[in-house]
Amino acid sequence: MPLESATRAVRTGLVAFAFLSYLILIGIPGRIGGPALPVMALIAALFFWVKLRRESIEPSKEATGRGQDGFEGKPGWEIGPQAASNGSRVRELLSSHTGTALVLKGLLAGLTTGLLIAIVSGIIAAAMGNGIAIQPVLDKIVPLNAAALIGVSPGQIAQADVSFARFLLQVLLFTGAGILAALAVTAGSSDLTHAAPVGRLTRHLSGPTLTSAGRYAGIALPFVLLAYIAWLGLPGVTAFGTNEGTVRLLLTLIATGSGLFALRLSRPGREQLAVAVLLGLGVVTMPFILDQFQNSVMGLVFIFVMMGLGLNIVVGYAGLLDLGYVAFFAIGAYTYAFLSAPFSSPYISGLLTLLGISPESPLLGYWMALPVAMLTAAVGGILLGIPVLRMRGDYLAIVTLGFGEIIRLFMLNLGELTNGPRGILEISQPALFGLTPVDVTFGLLSSQGWIFLLALISSALVAFVAIRLNESRLGRAWFAMQEDEDVAEATGVHLVRTKLLAFAIGATFAGMAGQLYAARQINIFPENFSLFVSIDALALIIVGGIGSPAGIVLGALALKGLPEVLRGVDEYRIVTFAALLVIMMIVRPDGILPSARRRIQLADPDEPGMDSDPETREEEPGLTVNGDAFADGSGGREEQ
Amino acid sequence: MTSSPVKAQAAGRDGRASLKQFTRALGAAIVVLVIWRVTTVGLAEGYPASFWISQALNGLVLGGVYALVALGYTLVYGILFMINFAHGEVMMIGGITGFFALQFAQARGWMEGPWPVVVVALLLIMFIGMAASVLIGVTLERLAYRPLRQAPRLVPLISAIGASLFLQYSVLLIFGVSPHSYRKPALISGGLRLGDVFIPYTGAIIFITSILLMLALYFIIQRTKLGRAMRAVAEDRSTASLMGVDVNAVIVVTFMLGSALAGAAGVMLGFHNTVVKFNSGFIPGLKAFTAAVLGGIGNIPGAMFGALILGLIEAIGPSALGIPTEYKDVIAFTMLVLILIFRPTGLFGEVLSEKKA
Repeated sequence: MPLESATRAVRTGLVAFAFLSYLILIGIPGRIGGPALPVMALIAALFFWVKLRRESIEPSKEATGRGQDGFEGKPGWEIGPQAASNGSRVRELLSSHTGTALVLKGLLAGLTTGLLIAIVSGIIAAAMGNGIAIQPVLDKIVPLNAAALIGVSPGQIAQADVSFARFLLQVLLFTGAGILAALAVTAGSSDLTHAAPVGRLTRHLSGPTLTSAGRYAGIALPFVLLAYIAWLGLPGVTAFGTNEGTVRLLLTLIATGSGLFALRLSRPGREQLAVAVLLGLGVVTMPFILDQFQNSVMGLVFIFVMMGLGLNIVVGYAGLLDLGYVAFFAIGAYTYAFLSAPFSSPYISGLLTLLGISPESPLLGYWMALPVAMLTAAVGGILLGIPVLRMRGDYLAIVTLGFGEIIRLFMLNLGELTNGPRGILEISQPALFGLTPVDVTFGLLSSQGWIFLLALISSALVAFVAIRLNESRLGRAWFAMQEDEDVAEATGVHLVRTKLLAFAIGATFAGMAGQLYAARQINIFPENFSLFVSIDALALIIVGGIGSPAGIVLGALALKGLPEVLRGVDEYRIVTFAALLVIMMIVRPDGILPSARRRIQLADPDEPGMDSDPETREEEPGLTVNGDAFADGSGGREEQ
Repeated sequence: MTSSPVKAQAAGRDGRASLKQFTRALGAAIVVLVIWRVTTVGLAEGYPASFWISQALNGLVLGGVYALVALGYTLVYGILFMINFAHGEVMMIGGITGFFALQFAQARGWMEGPWPVVVVALLLIMFIGMAASVLIGVTLERLAYRPLRQAPRLVPLISAIGASLFLQYSVLLIFGVSPHSYRKPALISGGLRLGDVFIPYTGAIIFITSILLMLALYFIIQRTKLGRAMRAVAEDRSTASLMGVDVNAVIVVTFMLGSALAGAAGVMLGFHNTVVKFNSGFIPGLKAFTAAVLGGIGNIPGAMFGALILGLIEAIGPSALGIPTEYKDVIAFTMLVLILIFRPTGLFGEVLSEKKA
């Protein structure tokens, strides 16, 4: 037993080392600069904390004989004994895991990580000191990071001017991190049964379980923030000294997000209505008080809210995983571009001269083009929908992905029609009765503010339509279809019509979003419509909570808004969100703000697993996998 | 009141029947259109026979590489019923690692040495690429897929998309945006000239190596105890575990085999395309998936032949249809869509079509 826990601790240290090496490789320490080593030690401490905490719960889990069964696990009936043993688990935990054992484990893990990091950075330093280039590519990043870790300048490494004490410091810091983490686990051990802080948090947020004071504070928060943002806009007022635009943008994002929570916190009925109206008024004034940059970011966020709401109809309501959603976005954008930009392809201008219209002037204004763009996108949706009617699940995902790529390749290569990679330039701006709002409001509303306002209004409209649709007969047909197609058909759902409507309506919303996007960008190029738009749209509805419009707004704020605030770390954006996607799928597949139905909408009816209560699922181990338990489980069954 | 569901059901059945007729008509129309286009445009261009032959040989080389990657998709799909979306990235990582191994070998001067040294060094480079891919593949399985084994099918797919992006952009952050170019050693940079047809040595080596690797895989699956365990798990996981097969170990080994083949493919694709970069695994990965679907996913010989066919179509298609070569990706994706519409079980039949539903 002691040997086993020692190996476990060493393994924890190794995993921490692997994780930190990854951070070193992607260049984090070099970016942090001076305090890189303590920050890395802090990250390691956090990791140790999570790991030790989990390990101290695990033994009892194994004692109940609950295997990590890979194939026919029925969490439903295995949860019973698990839940019943909660009381004994705490007792067992307190008796078997004394603080000293934990601290020893933490020490061992920290020592492993620290030693390995010291050795590796020592090797790099020695190599650099002797003039050995590590690798043509790596040596740009690694010495910088190694230097930051040892706490010297890269030049000092190259001159072999690194003392032994610096490596000792590394070892000590990481060992300290391990001990600290162990102490933290010991201190918090009485709370160990609550292994799902995320779950508790969302339970608070998704229902009014707070005290009334907390509730009112939550409701008041967005208004306070909005007032503060407005005050920040006054001449002569600055926030926290530097980078005012970014700070204000961050506050705007938080205000919008907390507005959603305020809506959830308010009591249904008159109170909720009042909060909603006030919030609506507050949000509508935002385009007038923000500056051009903040408005452009918020405009993008709400364009993606529209995208997310549309994709949510296809993926969340109808259960059809569409990875080529960008195609409809592109169709909307290009339709508007054709209609409103001075560039017209030889084909189109030929057609126009034939009809007796001058090809030089924009053909249609924004509002006239809107139904055209929506209709074109809807037709595109139906055209995609017809061939994939019989496909399900992952095949559908791949085919739609292929469809999206085909559209992009056509945009890129059909030079006569789409101007190829040079794009379509000078797309005209949406006007209001022939006037630009910038003139009407005497400059109070910037051009991007106008786009933001339009995006706000359109996404509110789209959200209304989406929510009403979901509650309609069609919405129930979608829900039935995603639960089980055959049963749905047997109970009278017309599958072909229902599926095609989902594709068409989703595509229509994407077309609207695309048109607004084209107006926002003024110039559009095929690379604006890469696969990443689809992935972003999918990621935001998954992160926010699939099937829940409020979650989608939250997801868009987090995925499209936050990266603009964190401009400096923009390059780590995709990596972070990709990792988040994986972790999200493992820990919380319902998203941050799950839909009211509280079901995993992606679920295939045939498979077990996700239909259990959400709380029980969070007890599953997350990223740390204990494969051994699986072997035990199957071995146990063999003996029977 | 009771009649309305019945009516709707009948309507649905009618809808299905008419849909079937519609897809059939569509398929016939597409075939006629392609034949018409090929005869009137492609053949009318009057390319010499040697042009077609060298295009076909190119296609076979590419098909061989696709086959190695497609096998990874098929193996994993056969056992776990999931699309390992990040498989193309596993291949790309093999290619990147191979690039650094090649640089190391070049710095040591091994590439200018006598031919046995060069051959051993090249093999070593391939093995290093394979080892890196295996490492990544197994890590991927453990971190991103194993915790989700009992989740609904789309959850691992989304996790795989995340993993794919994560790997791509990690490589971007670590090694930069600029492509890394493979420099072929002098020994294999030439080619063989047969009449008007030119066969580059790299092409021939790639084709032969991929055939050898595929034979090795076929031997492992058909003749060894491990292969029997893999087939048993693919057939019925729970029964296999009752028979004493360690399912977890088999899944890990499957990922190892698939990733090793992908790593070899990555290195060879590096030599073939002369460059690797962070996203150079994405499109080949999709193509290889297309190949796996073409042959019937889950079917190992099907994946091999599907890939060769796809390679041929991609190489010959643009000239035969008389369209620019930029559209070769469009041809591949269109193929994928068409196959999934008209013959979802692939040309050679999906081995496990019933269970995946």
